Amino acid sequence: MTDEAFIKLAAGLAIGLGAIGPGLGIGLAVSKAMEAIGRNPETENAVRSTMILGAGLAEAVAIYAFVIALILSLVV
Amino acid sequence: MEIHASMAAEALFHIGPFTVTNTMLTTWVVIAFLTVLAILATRRMSLVPESRLQNLMELIVEFLLDLSEKTAGPRVGRAVFPLIATLFIFILTANWFGILPIVGTITLCDPHHPGHCVPVFRAATSDLNITAAMALIAITTVQVVGVTVNGVRGYLKELTTPLLLAPIHLIGEISHVVSLSARLFGNIFGGEVLLVVMFALVPYFVPIVFMGLEMFFGFIQALIFSVLTIVYIALAAGGHGGGEEHAEAHS
Repeated sequence: MTDEAFIKLAAGLAIGLGAIGPGLGIGLAVSKAMEAIGRNPETENAVRSTMILGAGLAEAVAIYAFVIALILSLVV
Repeated sequence: MEIHASMAAEALFHIGPFTVTNTMLTTWVVIAFLTVLAILATRRMSLVPESRLQNLMELIVEFLLDLSEKTAGPRVGRAVFPLIATLFIFILTANWFGILPIVGTITLCDPHHPGHCVPVFRAATSDLNITAAMALIAITTVQVVGVTVNGVRGYLKELTTPLLLAPIHLIGEISHVVSLSARLFGNIFGGEVLLVVMFALVPYFVPIVFMGLEMFFGFIQALIFSVLTIVYIALAAGGHGGGEEHAEAHS
């Protein structure tokens, strides 16, 4: 396999594998938030804001993987 | 289908040895826009706002002041509120400017190299230099607040409490800088690449969804940047002092 093929493969793997963890993490966060709202509908606003914040933080890890994939495919 | 996206900001022209890039130009446009907005909102200010713009600005300022004071306490929160508010408002405006039609489409072509065209405007926060600069300012402020509130001895004691963990604390601070800048850069630059690809694939109607997504993420990222900064400041200022105040209040 040529060098270029390896680099493109690495870019695909970077984002593909790197998105597994954050996907699970965000799903967990949202599911717990929905449970909390179901148990106590009065706290919906606070729970929703915290959930969005937590999801943003978890997503950052996926963004790190995405940046690596971009570097690999654009800057070689 | 060739899609050209460059991670580094492209240079537009040179003033002597100083290079002006397209993200720099967009930053100046954002600054001018925010300045004009602020002037318009504070003309003929009244205690009970009569102009809708003043009302809107007060809504934003109250939200940010409330966030600052609730997270870091009334004294420290009020003191660092200008930084938090500036970070939020600038990052939000810079992110949303990246969705405007003029960004990425108007190009400047080099007469010496035919076909070498560079977009004149590019989302300010899609430049790692700009996000790294903001992250450095934010984390430097965290250290300054730590030293101001706890004194140099308190700050060093905090750093070396389990002496073996001191290098981990230091690396943690540096990783805060890296994560703040990389998070914002990755989100906005990735969003730009996504929009370019979407417009190249399906130019009609489908990109509307993605532009809405970009607006949402732009707002979330601005909020996350400022909230994380104020949380780091609150931790540096009184992670332990806060506990004592709570104990006194309850007894």
